[in-house]
Amino acid sequence: MFDREVFQITLLSLQISGLATLLSLLIGLPFGTFLALSNFRGRSFLLSLVNTGMGLPPVVVGLFVAMLLWRSGPLGKLNLIYTPTAIVIAQVIIAAPVVSGLTTAALQSLDPRLRLQLLGLGASRWQMIWELWREARLPLLAALMAGFGAVISEIGASMMVGGNIRFQTRVLTTAIVLETGKGNFGMASGLAILLLVITFLINWVLTHLQQKGVRI
Amino acid sequence: MIPLPQRQRSLSFILAFCLVINSLSACSALPSPASAERSTLILATTTSLQDSGLLDILVPRFEAQSGLTVKTIAVGSGQALKLGSEGNADILLTHDPEEEIAFMQNGYGVERIPLMANQFILVGPSSDPAQVKGTSIYVALHKIAKAQATFISRGDQSGTHKIEKALWAKAGIQPAQEPWYLESGQGMAATLTIASEKGAYTLTDRATFLVTRAQQNLVILVEGDPELLNVYHIILVNPQRFPQVNFTAAKAFARFLTSPQTKAFIRQFGQAEYGEPLFMLNNGP
Amino acid sequence: MKTLIELHDLTVRRANQKVLSIPLLSIYEGEVLAVVGPNGAGKSTFLLTLAGLLRPTGGKMTFAGRHLEQWKDLDYRRQIALVLQEPLLLDRSVLDNLLVGLRFRKLPRPQAVERAMDWLNRFGVAHLAQRPAHSISGGEAQRVSLARAFVLEPRLLLLDEPFAALDPPTRTDLYQDLSAILRQNHQTSVFVTHHLREAAFLGDRIAVFSEATLKQVGTLEQICQHPADVAVAEFVRHFSEEEFELK
Repeated sequence: MFDREVFQITLLSLQISGLATLLSLLIGLPFGTFLALSNFRGRSFLLSLVNTGMGLPPVVVGLFVAMLLWRSGPLGKLNLIYTPTAIVIAQVIIAAPVVSGLTTAALQSLDPRLRLQLLGLGASRWQMIWELWREARLPLLAALMAGFGAVISEIGASMMVGGNIRFQTRVLTTAIVLETGKGNFGMASGLAILLLVITFLINWVLTHLQQKGVRI
Repeated sequence: MIPLPQRQRSLSFILAFCLVINSLSACSALPSPASAERSTLILATTTSLQDSGLLDILVPRFEAQSGLTVKTIAVGSGQALKLGSEGNADILLTHDPEEEIAFMQNGYGVERIPLMANQFILVGPSSDPAQVKGTSIYVALHKIAKAQATFISRGDQSGTHKIEKALWAKAGIQPAQEPWYLESGQGMAATLTIASEKGAYTLTDRATFLVTRAQQNLVILVEGDPELLNVYHIILVNPQRFPQVNFTAAKAFARFLTSPQTKAFIRQFGQAEYGEPLFMLNNGP
Repeated sequence: MKTLIELHDLTVRRANQKVLSIPLLSIYEGEVLAVVGPNGAGKSTFLLTLAGLLRPTGGKMTFAGRHLEQWKDLDYRRQIALVLQEPLLLDRSVLDNLLVGLRFRKLPRPQAVERAMDWLNRFGVAHLAQRPAHSISGGEAQRVSLARAFVLEPRLLLLDEPFAALDPPTRTDLYQDLSAILRQNHQTSVFVTHHLREAAFLGDRIAVFSEATLKQVGTLEQICQHPADVAVAEFVRHFSEEEFELK
């Protein structure tokens, strides 16, 4: 069961979801911070959008991204449909709101006077933000884990924009669906356990970092 | 700047490094859009054909020969034809004659070539409560309806599903709202599993049945009926209508599929593993 | 006495309301200026303006001889240090809390640690240096917060009711220690308090605010015997004779 193909599928899953999580962090962390610390007219509205985005069903995201990337779609010329890049794009759309929303919540849970205190000790804006991130490191790491969890386990988007093509866009989740559909429950279970073990290991490392208060 | 104890700083660097390297290697694995444009072929086909394993051998062969990358999207015949009708696939391999003809009449396809065929068979529990063994398909369907024996339909607008519906219609029966008629909405293998678990009847293509036989306890009850022939056609999507399709690649693939070497391969595919070939060749040009 | 800060007709407006008005005030180097007044009188607004966290909307303010406009925001803020009512310590060790402000100013770590330990010592909490900040008592935490501000050796120290969250014995203990340290260091500071007694004890001068305006600056006697207006007189009246005698 644990042959080269399984290894390739697993590696691809981790690469795609890993990259998507990283990109979501790069987008969601600053944006979530901005929403938490600023005050402007449309803020509430934007925040609601982000919170709605947190609950987007992956298959819905997959459908809309596919409609953009299909040959018949506006971005068809890019030839991205049925590629790992397409899956990364869809997964970023799924995970970025999660990371952003939880970042905002994490920062808003800090004492509001902390900002004042940091500025009053001579912090520049960036220094202040960095210290706030450090203060909120526990919930921020949780946001990261939530973002990763959302994409490593999704099927709908991977299926729609990836196409589950052997050796190209087949990931653990879509492979499990395929094997289940073929009736190979043994293989499907094996892949499922592999997915769970890997997800657990990654979360274990992140949780360990979170609880030890490692300064990242 | 930030006074991190040495060990923790190293750990963070290692993590960050791994993430970046990982992502970069994933990126390099992604083909650049420009080069991918004319070297990609999107093949839309049915789950039953995909599940038979035939494409798992033929597609890599073609890729090796031609240097093209084939993206095989296995969905129901209905969805495959829909993809083709929007120019989102370059070549189709389907088995839904009615819809295919309509597709051609609408001008979405420019060529329709019969490739191969297999048989549909009626399978069910060995106990055969409706006693359909050995009868013709229409008699069998009548008996099932009369005995109100559980029948599992694909229910997913696939080629198999369409043919199954047509057979009921020709038999003059309306099973749709009946309590004994269940729709799985899934692929053939999954449907066979359901039939096996429930001790029910279902219509399946011979290839999928043979391939998944080991996982079920269903037996063949009706076969060989001329009404049960299932023909797979290749359809080339119309490049005049949809300029974005990769017509040259589609033609190359069609040529490959209909070549004598490929035909010879198809003729014996499944013989070794299942005791009989899964597909018959269409006796055409 | 050298002047550190001068304010002329300084006003701060928020949403079309005047929230602070200071006709004239000089703050001298080395003095401790106590700021008193009823709730909502503008004391905290005054402090935040001095901290560079609120921009004046009118009038003139000079700091160390330069106009406020000539100071770059970050440079100005690094001249001051702020201590609030709650200690607001960061979730790390006590020592690391002290190092925060020094890190902002890019002071090399060995020197920073030396300075920090020195100040923790002066406030009597050196033994807590490695303890997580959340594990110490309220009084200890406020000492750390004070040390954290002092370690920056600011030109101006700002304290916003720093003892308000403490119980009376802890409070007395701490402001006596603070007074001694302020004197020793000739630290220019402005501190806001509700308690006239504390103000009298710690402050060289007392500034009385009322209705978002600075009404009077002077010693305790001047304020009590010659209140500038009815509002000041009212405020002073709330404090009994015994309180004053305990000076």
